[in-house]
Amino acid sequence: MDVEQVESMLRQEGQRRAAGNTQAFLARHAPFNKMAPTALQLFAEKAHIAFYPAGSVIVGPESGNVRFFYLIESGKVQARQAGEVTVTEYSILSLGVGECFPIGAVTAGRPSTNIYTAVEDSFCYQLPAEHYLTLMATSPEFNLFCTQYIASLLDQSRRQLQAQFAQKASEQQTLNSPLAGIGARNPVSVLPDTPLRAALEAMSQLGIGSMVVADAAKKPVGIFTRSDLLDRVVLADLPLTAPISQAMSASPFTLNEHATAYDAMLAMATHGIRHVLVTDHAGCLSGVVSERDLFALQRVGLRQIRQAIESAPSVEALKASAADVRQLSFNMLAQGIGAEQLTQFISALNDALTRRVIQLNLDRHDFAGIDWCWLAFGSEGRDEQTFSTDQDNGIVYTVPEGDDKEALKQRFLAFALDTNKDLDQVGFPLCKGNIMASNPQWCLTLDEWRAQFSKWIRTPEPVALLNATIFFDFRPLYGKSELSDSMRRHLLSQASATPIFLQAMARNALEVGPPLGKIRDFVTDLEPDHPGKIDLKKYGSRIFVDVARIYALAAGVHSTNTIQRLKLSAQKMNIKGEEINAVLDGLNFIQLLRLQHQYLEGEPGRQGDNLIDPDKLNELDRRILKESFRQARKIQSRLKLDYQVNN
Amino acid sequence: MFGIKKFLFGDGLNENLPPDVKSAVSAWLAQETASLESSHFLTRYVVVDIASDGLDPASNSLTGIAATVVHQGIVSPEQSVYVDLTSADEAIQARQLAAFLRFIGKSPLVAYHVAYVSAFLQNLLKKRLGIAFAARWVDLAWLLPAMFDEISHKPMPLDDWLTAFGLDVGEGRRSPSENNLMLARLLQMLMVRAHAKGVDGVEALIGESKASSHLRRTH
Repeated sequence: MDVEQVESMLRQEGQRRAAGNTQAFLARHAPFNKMAPTALQLFAEKAHIAFYPAGSVIVGPESGNVRFFYLIESGKVQARQAGEVTVTEYSILSLGVGECFPIGAVTAGRPSTNIYTAVEDSFCYQLPAEHYLTLMATSPEFNLFCTQYIASLLDQSRRQLQAQFAQKASEQQTLNSPLAGIGARNPVSVLPDTPLRAALEAMSQLGIGSMVVADAAKKPVGIFTRSDLLDRVVLADLPLTAPISQAMSASPFTLNEHATAYDAMLAMATHGIRHVLVTDHAGCLSGVVSERDLFALQRVGLRQIRQAIESAPSVEALKASAADVRQLSFNMLAQGIGAEQLTQFISALNDALTRRVIQLNLDRHDFAGIDWCWLAFGSEGRDEQTFSTDQDNGIVYTVPEGDDKEALKQRFLAFALDTNKDLDQVGFPLCKGNIMASNPQWCLTLDEWRAQFSKWIRTPEPVALLNATIFFDFRPLYGKSELSDSMRRHLLSQASATPIFLQAMARNALEVGPPLGKIRDFVTDLEPDHPGKIDLKKYGSRIFVDVARIYALAAGVHSTNTIQRLKLSAQKMNIKGEEINAVLDGLNFIQLLRLQHQYLEGEPGRQGDNLIDPDKLNELDRRILKESFRQARKIQSRLKLDYQVNN
Repeated sequence: MFGIKKFLFGDGLNENLPPDVKSAVSAWLAQETASLESSHFLTRYVVVDIASDGLDPASNSLTGIAATVVHQGIVSPEQSVYVDLTSADEAIQARQLAAFLRFIGKSPLVAYHVAYVSAFLQNLLKKRLGIAFAARWVDLAWLLPAMFDEISHKPMPLDDWLTAFGLDVGEGRRSPSENNLMLARLLQMLMVRAHAKGVDGVEALIGESKASSHLRRTH
C-alpha cells in the first residue's frame, strides 16, 4: 500500500471517528433516535457542522434552491414567512435544539419560503441535499418523519387558506371604511411617455384591466383602461409607438386614502367611472379602488349568518337568515368562487338551517330514548344543492323493545310533517314527488330501509332504478348517524355483490348522453319546449352524478358527494390522477355555469332554470363547455366498457 | 550540498525510507502555502489533536493523531483523518505519517496547547521521517481569552470554555477525533469574533495567539 492509499484509509477512519459525537447527538433526538445505525452513520459522516452567530441568516428565499437539510445542534433559530401570503399557521416560529428545517423545500429542491435566522449563536448540522434524499430513500423512519411533516404542512396551508377564505367572507367591512384598506395597494403605474406597446404588454403580463399613468413623483396624471384601447387606439389608428399619454383619460378622479368607500361609490355613480385612484397625504398614488372592490364590501358575513342560524328562536328568524345565505352565496359567486366550494358552502349553511328547524320542532316532539336519524336524499344528500332545491328527506329509526311500532311511527310522521312545513317556510319547497319524511313510505325503521334497499337491488325495475338514484345518495343530517352508517354498509355490500343491478344502473345512466353535435358544437333541440337551449342538469351534471354513483357503489366508496365519489373510486380502480382531474374540471365548470345562470340571470328571489343558450356564451366559455361535455362522454364510454352495455 | 539540504530540511530525510514515502515527504517539504488565505473563511484550517501514553513528549510516545479540516466556515467529518499509531511497525508508521502530511499540507494548524501537541508531533516526525516539523500553529488555549475576554481573560481548561459557550462537553474522556470537533466549533465561533475585532486572516490570528501567550505568561 502506498502513501496515497494509506491516506484514504486514514480519511475513512477519521470520518468514522469524527462522526462519533454527531451520532451521540442524533441518538438523543427524534426521529433520529429510532433510525438504524447505518442511517445515523450516513448522516453523521456527511453532515457538515456550521456556526451561525446571532442575527445571521441561515437560509431564505434568496439563497436559491435549498442545498441542505438543517438540524439545530445548539442555539435557537427563527423561521419567518418571507412573502405577504401566509402559507402556514404561524408567521414567526421559533425552532430549538433537535429541530429540523426546511423540510418541504429541501425535499422539493426549491427555495425556502421562510427566512431562517439564528436568534442566538447557533450550531447546525447541515446535510447536503443529495444525502438527505438518500436518507429519505433508505431510512423508513426518516422518510415517515419527513413525509408526515410535509403532509402536516400541506394540511396547515390548506386549513389556513380556508380560514382566510372564511375570514374574508365574514369580514363585515362597511361602506364607512377608509379607502386605505380597500382594493389594490401600490398599483403598477407607468410614466406618461411610455410607449403604448410597453404599457399594453405590462397590462397583459400582469393581467390587469387598467393602467395608472403617473409622473416621476408618482402623482397620477391619467388612467388607461381596456375600453380606451378600443376607442382611442384601435379605432383611432393610433400607433403602438405613441406615448400612453395620448390615449389615457387625463386628470383621473382621485380620492385621499382617508376618504370612505361610500365616497368612492358616490364618485363612480356621479362620474360614470369604474376606477378611483387613491392618493396618500402627499398626493402620490397609493392604491386603486374598482367597482368590484366596493361590491365585495357589501357582503354578508359568514360567521354572523351561522350564529344567527344557530341561535334563531323561531322559523320567522330563520327565514331572514335564509335570505342572508342567498345573498352571501350570490356575492361569493360574483367574486369568482369555484363551483365546488360554493355548493359545499351552500350545503353547509343549508344543513345548519335544516338542523335548526329540526331542533325547533323537537321542542314540541320528544323522542328521548329512541334512536333515530333525519336523512337527506338527492342533491342535498350529495352536498351539491343550489339554494332553493326541493326538500328530499326521510327518517330512519329503531323501535325500542316493548314499544308499539305503529304508534312510534305516527309520532315521527307528525314531527316530520311540522318540520317539512317549516322547511318550506324557510325556503326549501315541498317535494313534488313527496320524497319527504312525512310520507309514511320514507319514514322507516332501520330494518325496513335495509329491506327496501335489498328489494330495489334484487329487482332493478325502472321505478327501483329511479329510486336508487335518489335514495342511495343519502346522508345523515340530524340524530344518530350510526343508523345511516349501518344503512350504507348494507347498501354497499348488497350493491357490489349484485352485478346485474349495477349493469342495469349503468344502462339507465347511459340513456342520456352529452349534447355534442356531429356538425355543430352543441345539440340544442333536445328539449322541444325550449328550442335553442341546453339543459345543463339533465345533459350535463347528471351524467357525472350517475356515473359517480355507480362507481362508488361498485368500489364500496362511502361518500355521496360526486367529486369525492369520483376521486375515491378512481383511486380504488386505478384510474390515473390527471384523467380524473380532467373529468372533475368538466363537472365543476358545468356546475359553475348552472349556478351563474341561476343566480346571476334569474329573477332575484327565485331560482332560475338550468337552461342555457350556448350561443350567448362567450367564445372561451363555449370551448370549455364543449370540453366539459367531452369529459362527460369520456366517463360514459368508460362506464359502457366496464359494464358491457351496448345501446 | 549536504549542508544546504540539512539547513533546509532539518537533519534531512531519513535515507532508508521507501521511495513512495520519501517522495511524498519531499513533495510536502517543497509544497507552498495554500494561496487563498485572504480571510478566515477562505483559509483551510486543520484542527489537530493527539492521544499519547503519557504527558511528557520526551519520554512518552504518541498513540494516535486526529485532524479535521475547517474550511469556508464549515466542519465536515468527511474531511478528517485518524492516524492509529498503536501499531509498532516503524515502516507502517512512516507511511502513515507521510499520508498525514499529505492531508494537512501547509495549512495552518489549530490545537489546544500547541506547545504540547507540537512537541509530540515534532519528536515522532523527526524519529520516523527525519524531518524537523515546523508549521504555522494557532493556539486556541491562548486565543480564546484574547478574543472572548468577557468570558475569561486568562487560559482555562477546555471544558470550561465549552461549558461557557453552552456546548455539550459530553461524558467521560473525548477521543482526539471527538475533541477535534469541539475545537473546530470553538474555531468557528472564534473566526466570527476575530472578524468583528478586525483580526482578519491567518497571520493576524497567529500574531494574536503569540501576543496573547506572551502577555498572559509575562504579566
